Amino acid sequence: MIARRRKSSLQRTQQRMAVLFIVPALAVYALFVLYPLLMSLWGSFFVWRGLRMLEFAGLSNFTRLFVFPSGGRLYGALWHNVAWFFGIMLFQNGLGLLLAWLLFLRAKGAAFFQSVFFFPAVLSPVIVGALWRLLLAPGGTIEWMLNGLGLHQGSLTVLGNSHTALVMLIAVDAWNWMGLPVLIYTAGLRQISSQIFEAARLDGAGSGRMLVSVALPLLMPAVGTLTTLSFINTFNQFDIVYVMQGVQGNPSYSTDTLVTYFYRLAFGAEGAVGITDIGLALALGTLLFLILSIGTLVMLRFFDRRTVQL
Amino acid sequence: MLAIPRQLARLPGWTALVLWTAAVLLPLYILVVSCFKTTAEIYDNRLGLPQSFAFDNFVAAWTRADLGQNFINSLIVTGGAVILTIIVSAMAAYPLSRYRLGWNGIMLGLFLSGIMLPIRLASVELFTLMRNLGLLDSLIGLILVYSAIRIPFAVFIFANFMSVLPSELDEAARMDGAGEARILFQIVLPMVKPAISIVAIFTAIAVWNDFFFPLIFIFDDRYKTVPLAISVFVGQFRTDWGLVFASLAISMAPILIMYCLLARQIREGVGSGGGAK
Repeated sequence: MIARRRKSSLQRTQQRMAVLFIVPALAVYALFVLYPLLMSLWGSFFVWRGLRMLEFAGLSNFTRLFVFPSGGRLYGALWHNVAWFFGIMLFQNGLGLLLAWLLFLRAKGAAFFQSVFFFPAVLSPVIVGALWRLLLAPGGTIEWMLNGLGLHQGSLTVLGNSHTALVMLIAVDAWNWMGLPVLIYTAGLRQISSQIFEAARLDGAGSGRMLVSVALPLLMPAVGTLTTLSFINTFNQFDIVYVMQGVQGNPSYSTDTLVTYFYRLAFGAEGAVGITDIGLALALGTLLFLILSIGTLVMLRFFDRRTVQL
Repeated sequence: MLAIPRQLARLPGWTALVLWTAAVLLPLYILVVSCFKTTAEIYDNRLGLPQSFAFDNFVAAWTRADLGQNFINSLIVTGGAVILTIIVSAMAAYPLSRYRLGWNGIMLGLFLSGIMLPIRLASVELFTLMRNLGLLDSLIGLILVYSAIRIPFAVFIFANFMSVLPSELDEAARMDGAGEARILFQIVLPMVKPAISIVAIFTAIAVWNDFFFPLIFIFDDRYKTVPLAISVFVGQFRTDWGLVFASLAISMAPILIMYCLLARQIREGVGSGGGAK
């Protein structure tokens, strides 16, 4: 009886203390993350004048988003984000798997290489973008090296050329984050029992065969994590574009992304007059939110099903 | 005799590893040596060591471009956000992972959903909110926003580490008459030091490097952070390459020092969780 009363009094204290302890974190999180996000989703269904919300507008912001003159920008930016995602999957996560496999096969030096490969990932994308902008500029060091090696002649204008600029940005992003797949894949490979590799070796599998047929199916959780992270990061891409190509995604919007477009609509650098269109910006934000949420859920389920249980 | 083909077979692999190492280190090497060169010298002598290790570019970046003030601002914002995030997240994670409240799961879920939320898309409403609260052009404003963004990840890490501590730990302390705050700060928190360092490291990196929120909330030069200042320099001092390289070097110095000291923790933290961004 006394024990039970003591227990329930403890539980009452705990309920009270729990609220007290959780409130500071919850208040900051709710005020500066949840509230603005919910208000943004809600606001995308209203007419805006400047930063003032006027009457309910139904889906009119969304229909405006898909037609002239916004439609072209939207599809352009969407396509660049999709291309960016596949580019990262191939260059960063594909090459990263290969590098991780090479490190996994070598007992020595793995920690050193991992540390070097991951270092750019702790740098600000602003620093990375600024550094590569200087290196890739006409008259920059890359031009000098390519000319010296006889691979290129004259001025290097890859960032000013609308056919190559996006590819260059994707490559810089891959350079920035290559360490991430390397670290996640090596951690995943080390969790696989060495007996499995031993058995495959006895069956006569070579190193390449072992990577594709034995390791990769067992690495599905890591592949899933990286695909989802790359998807989220790609569709939030802003910093590298802003620093290297400006907020318009120069030249002529060829490196524009959904978030740079969103930024221009929301903070006023879109079109000749540079005025904001909050309704359109919020509609784009809601669309992007849907793309990210649905995409992430689909990917998590897709990779969950393909996880091999041993 | 057998050893030679085996070594030879490993050659392409080593080549690939060395090539990527060069791809990472060469740009960083160019960055470092260019800091000590004049623009003319950068053109004449691309890869060589500078003629002299003069600190002119650093001095110019620090004073003429006023990077010193930006640097102090970044330190204040990063330090403030790390401390606030750790304290409030540890406080929230303690009851959520160690009490039986009946609503632990829902509350944890609410926090965890924030790890993936694309908060940049809320920046219009966030801007209005910050303006109404008088937090534009304010380092405190940045600290609050960054803490809010980092709290979900921090609560997740703290709750994971705290939930595996033995329950006798706080029960014994409670028997001795210790209050809940004392149990958290003097008994539980010292036992989850690895969680504190993971949260501190990844919060510090994310906040130090962020560029988006200062771009939106800071207009006054006195309150600009390093990444925002750098993004301006790149255009403003376009012809003064030495100064831009030096400002890049200054802005990455704290992260570089931290990385050299904590490379192992960072490698393991990312390998296990992938929570770098």
